[in-house]
Amino acid sequence: MDSYAFQIVLCGALVAVNCSLLGSFLILRGQALVADAISHSVLPGIVAAFLFSGARAGGPLLVGAGAVGLLTTLGIEFLHRRAKVQSDAAIGITFTALFALGVVLVTALAGQVDLDQDCVLYGELAYVPLDPWLTANGWDLGPRAAWTSGFCLVVLLVVIGLFFKQLYLTSFDPAYAASLGLATGVWHYVLMGLTSLVTVASFEAVGAILVVALMVAPPATAFQLTRRFRAMLGLAAAVGVLTAVGGYVLAAALDASVAGAMAVVAGALFVAAWAWGKWRTALAGA
Amino acid sequence: MNIRVEQPAVEVHDLTVSYQNRPILWGVDLTLPQGALVGIMGPNGAGKSTLLKSMMGLLPLSSGYIHLFGQPLAQVRARVSYVPQRESVDWDFPASVLDVVLMGRYGKLGLFSRPRQSDRDIAHDCIRKVGLENLAHRQIAQLSGGQQQRVFLARALAQKADLYLMDEPFAGVDATTEAAIVDLVRELKQQGKTVVMVHHDLQSASRYFDWLLLLNQRLVASGPTHQVFVPEHLQEAYGGKLTLLAQMGELMKQGNYPAREK
Repeated sequence: MDSYAFQIVLCGALVAVNCSLLGSFLILRGQALVADAISHSVLPGIVAAFLFSGARAGGPLLVGAGAVGLLTTLGIEFLHRRAKVQSDAAIGITFTALFALGVVLVTALAGQVDLDQDCVLYGELAYVPLDPWLTANGWDLGPRAAWTSGFCLVVLLVVIGLFFKQLYLTSFDPAYAASLGLATGVWHYVLMGLTSLVTVASFEAVGAILVVALMVAPPATAFQLTRRFRAMLGLAAAVGVLTAVGGYVLAAALDASVAGAMAVVAGALFVAAWAWGKWRTALAGA
Repeated sequence: MNIRVEQPAVEVHDLTVSYQNRPILWGVDLTLPQGALVGIMGPNGAGKSTLLKSMMGLLPLSSGYIHLFGQPLAQVRARVSYVPQRESVDWDFPASVLDVVLMGRYGKLGLFSRPRQSDRDIAHDCIRKVGLENLAHRQIAQLSGGQQQRVFLARALAQKADLYLMDEPFAGVDATTEAAIVDLVRELKQQGKTVVMVHHDLQSASRYFDWLLLLNQRLVASGPTHQVFVPEHLQEAYGGKLTLLAQMGELMKQGNYPAREK
């Protein structure tokens, strides 16, 4: 495997592991669609941050996207609780409106900003090696996207490691968690904040649309294989890495989009795990 | 009828709780004695679970207040334990019996700390008390309804509380589990603990509870079971539905039918 291929697979794997770890919590809380919403609606935040700071990575982007991500969560809850809109409709209204705003901004400002519509929506892992992080004295530290995702992974591992019990309990039984005095709302927003972070860290590589495939498919695959939560986290991460490798091989063979191929592989792995689970239960029953 | 007690475990004062501007509970005012087994009964929609959740601080109150052991919940949270309805969670969740029971210890742990060996010992002890010691490492998805209810009970026991609030612990459980729960709450009572539970079955009510609370959006009666469990109060709480229930009960007595399928 040459250096380019390695860099692409490394970035893909980091993105997939981030999405898989976070997604494991989200699917168990029934919030996969909220993650979908956030992954789309951070678009105007990304564009605005880019417009004001000219940065395609780093602090301003994170702040802009994080703010819009939070706004999405608040908007969904406001529509559901106060305006009595059904929860799925509340998600639908909020994220399509914000996403559309992002699309309008990207297209309207197409001449002024170096932000490609296709790249934002679909990402392009193959270009990742073309954007290396160069230090002041000219050292090439490897693709910038790998550093962003790596940083994001560290944040995720620290938060999950420190607050595992809170995230676990509020996911399983929020009413009981509240009865123990846990601030269930805070943990909800912590997860939503992480979702914004992961989305921003991933969008350059896999795009706003496919990031949700990586948040849902690997955890759902792991859930087919185990009912132990720690094992599920580990398996989901492993499936994420497998998805990145498989996606690269498929994309190279077909000369297709790497992100697209990864999502296809993620879906195929889920079907395989589901079928294996069925087969295993059938064997146990026989 | 509303019998007041000194130094109550629970004091509900002028409580009104509404949902979407529709009152569920209206002006409920009562005290519950310490060290008693208390049953909350009433027809569907009477606000039984709502009362329990209000005591546990899970719902916004439209008016009134609730004191536990003479203090607001925030000051005595460590002494109170809540058993939600079994159907309120997804039992397909990836967790073992031990994982869930350990959650009962979370309230005693600091922000960053993990359960210690002493917490595990307590959890195992509580699992033994509900008779699930052989299933401690079983995944909760593989349990029967009765076993799931016992897991919830073990989790509440692990809190080592003084007041237990249980939302329909007998709903949809087998006879073995019901007997196990009854033994367990009687043991708690002997240790001087207070147990308050939402209950549906009129037949067993007078056998299980020392204190009974009849509810139908308003408080109908609160007092010792033998004083509350009389036709006039039951009639007031259940209205027309009771005549049917009374006839059924009479038939069952004559026919000697079991109250449930064995």
